[in-house]
Amino acid sequence: MAWPNIFQRGALLSQFSHHHVVVFLLTFFSYSLLHASRKTFSNVKVSISKQWTPSAFNKSIELPVEIWSSNHLFPSAEEATLFLGTLDTIFLFSYAVGLFISGIVGDRLNLRWVLSFGMCSSALVVFVFGTLTEWLHFYNKGLYCSLWIVNGLLQSTGWPCVVAVMGNWFGKAGRGVVFGLWSACASVGNILGACLASSVLQYGYEYAFLVTAAVQFAGGIIIFFGLLVSPEEIGLPGIEAEENFEDDSHRPLISGAENEDEAEPNYSIQEDKTITQVKAISFYQACCLPGVIAYSLAYACLKLVNYSFFFWLPFYLSNNFGWKEAEADKLSIWYDVGGIIGGTLQGFISDVLQKRAPVLALSLLLAVGSLVGYSRSPNDKSINALLMAVTGFFIGGPSNMISSAISADLGRQELIQGSTEALATVTGIVDGTGSIGAAVGQILPV
Amino acid sequence: MALRGLDSPLTVVPWAAALLLVLSVERALALPEICIQCPGSVQNLSEVALYCKQTSDLMLHARCCLNRKGTILGLDLQNCSLKDPGPYFPQARTAIIIDLQANSLQGDLANTFRGFTQLQTLILPQDVNCPGGINAWKTITSYINNQTCQEQRNLCNSTGDPEMCPENGSCAPDGPGRLQCVCAEGFHGYKCMRQGSFSLLMFFGILGSTTLSISTLLWGTQRRKAKAS
Repeated sequence: MAWPNIFQRGALLSQFSHHHVVVFLLTFFSYSLLHASRKTFSNVKVSISKQWTPSAFNKSIELPVEIWSSNHLFPSAEEATLFLGTLDTIFLFSYAVGLFISGIVGDRLNLRWVLSFGMCSSALVVFVFGTLTEWLHFYNKGLYCSLWIVNGLLQSTGWPCVVAVMGNWFGKAGRGVVFGLWSACASVGNILGACLASSVLQYGYEYAFLVTAAVQFAGGIIIFFGLLVSPEEIGLPGIEAEENFEDDSHRPLISGAENEDEAEPNYSIQEDKTITQVKAISFYQACCLPGVIAYSLAYACLKLVNYSFFFWLPFYLSNNFGWKEAEADKLSIWYDVGGIIGGTLQGFISDVLQKRAPVLALSLLLAVGSLVGYSRSPNDKSINALLMAVTGFFIGGPSNMISSAISADLGRQELIQGSTEALATVTGIVDGTGSIGAAVGQILPV
Repeated sequence: MALRGLDSPLTVVPWAAALLLVLSVERALALPEICIQCPGSVQNLSEVALYCKQTSDLMLHARCCLNRKGTILGLDLQNCSLKDPGPYFPQARTAIIIDLQANSLQGDLANTFRGFTQLQTLILPQDVNCPGGINAWKTITSYINNQTCQEQRNLCNSTGDPEMCPENGSCAPDGPGRLQCVCAEGFHGYKCMRQGSFSLLMFFGILGSTTLSISTLLWGTQRRKAKAS
């Protein structure tokens, strides 16, 4: 067993400057905010479905129309729920399409501009979707669908960009641990979204959307002013340049090829500041890289389960056990807590073992058992939270690993060391396939 | 503006005064239709007249007893040959005393008194029952030529069903013998889902200042030396 470089404190910590810390935190929180605004929608499903339907109260007492039944967007709660599921599906499909595109686009444009544009415009769309429609009392199915499609496309700019930026700053050494920790950003975003939404839900669901959209917009502005896309932007050497000076005993843990000691091509993702010209890898070439298809398909199945939880957990808790929406939101946090611990721990273990696949396979097998166990959970908040955390550990762990560390491995294999424009493209492919799987999963029950 | 055929500006004044007078009288005479649809005025010895005189600040106009703001507090429609109170009847929902005797009212009156929450004395023809029955009124007296219903009861207390209203709703009276669900204390909005009010100013103030400070800090420490891109 080879302990990762992280234990040789001097070598690792000395190469991390305050720039690395800031980049880690900025990319971490920018993706968290994107995910938080996505999560807001699933946190307010109960309230929004109540807002769209007339009251189904059936007693002899008089219910004044303007308070209880003036909204008729859907005749019943069941129809509203179906539409909410449709919105999720639409979002995921457009997100998947957007990922394929953004992965390719993100490498050719300035990542900082793409990321802040994506964050700010997605925040505006979410604001119009949730807050403006409520303030104007304008409820329209077509508007909701189109806004959510646009939101899916805009949000898809986030992930490939942040992974690419992280790939620029953090090299192969300790990638499993660093990316494992970093990939907790999605789960942290879920927790953040759940906390924000449940704290303002009493004022009305429109304020949940307003708060998350405003914070995301602010995040976009901070990214614009504070993010350094790669070390070359301020004149520091890139990661490949540094690594070629080190004793190269660490390779991406997927392929076993020897690393050739070439005169360093510059692996910066910026086109305009390289020593040697590099050419982009095409979409087809990226697909044909070893491991990409296999991991993409695995990720599709995994994301199906993960997103079913993501989109419907508070709604399920609220309807099945009768808990209040704000409480259900707070409890659904435990799933993400499990996911964070799972991702970090499994990333660390796979670094130690120098293999990713066995860790993933075992975790997914155990996930099946935990899902069955969760479906039989009793109506008790502590037990339910515990089962939720366990399920999150076994599902969220591999999910976080595939989407981050493994994507970074795939995108930096020796086979494509001559090209730099692979990381974002590969990330886009893996995540895009995953999202298609998740989208299909939303319409399966229908 | 200059009027043709006038010798001097001063001749405008009597015209203006007359116009103002007519307008003010018209405003004062803008009675609700329910007061004037039946010819005549409040009978001198009726309950409505007694009520109106004993309280100061109340004026009698046609069939109504109004307060200073023009709100109907008493309505006297006796002997109007009414088959039903008519489409303008809800205008009198603020009334405290209503007299409908000596009319041949037909049909069920249950829905006509919707919203009449202030009504304390209702005088009906002999053959018409008090809306809501004996449960809705403290005293029902039968006289030779009328039935008098007095002191409307709040049925919310007596019904005692805790699940009477949807979530966050609470029972409120809606007229004699009627109940409605309104939002409970502190709740508002559609289906009473919302509670309290969100302070936008404080939220955006805090967010704006935090964003400004973090952006400035990060720009200073990170991007200031970045090459233009």
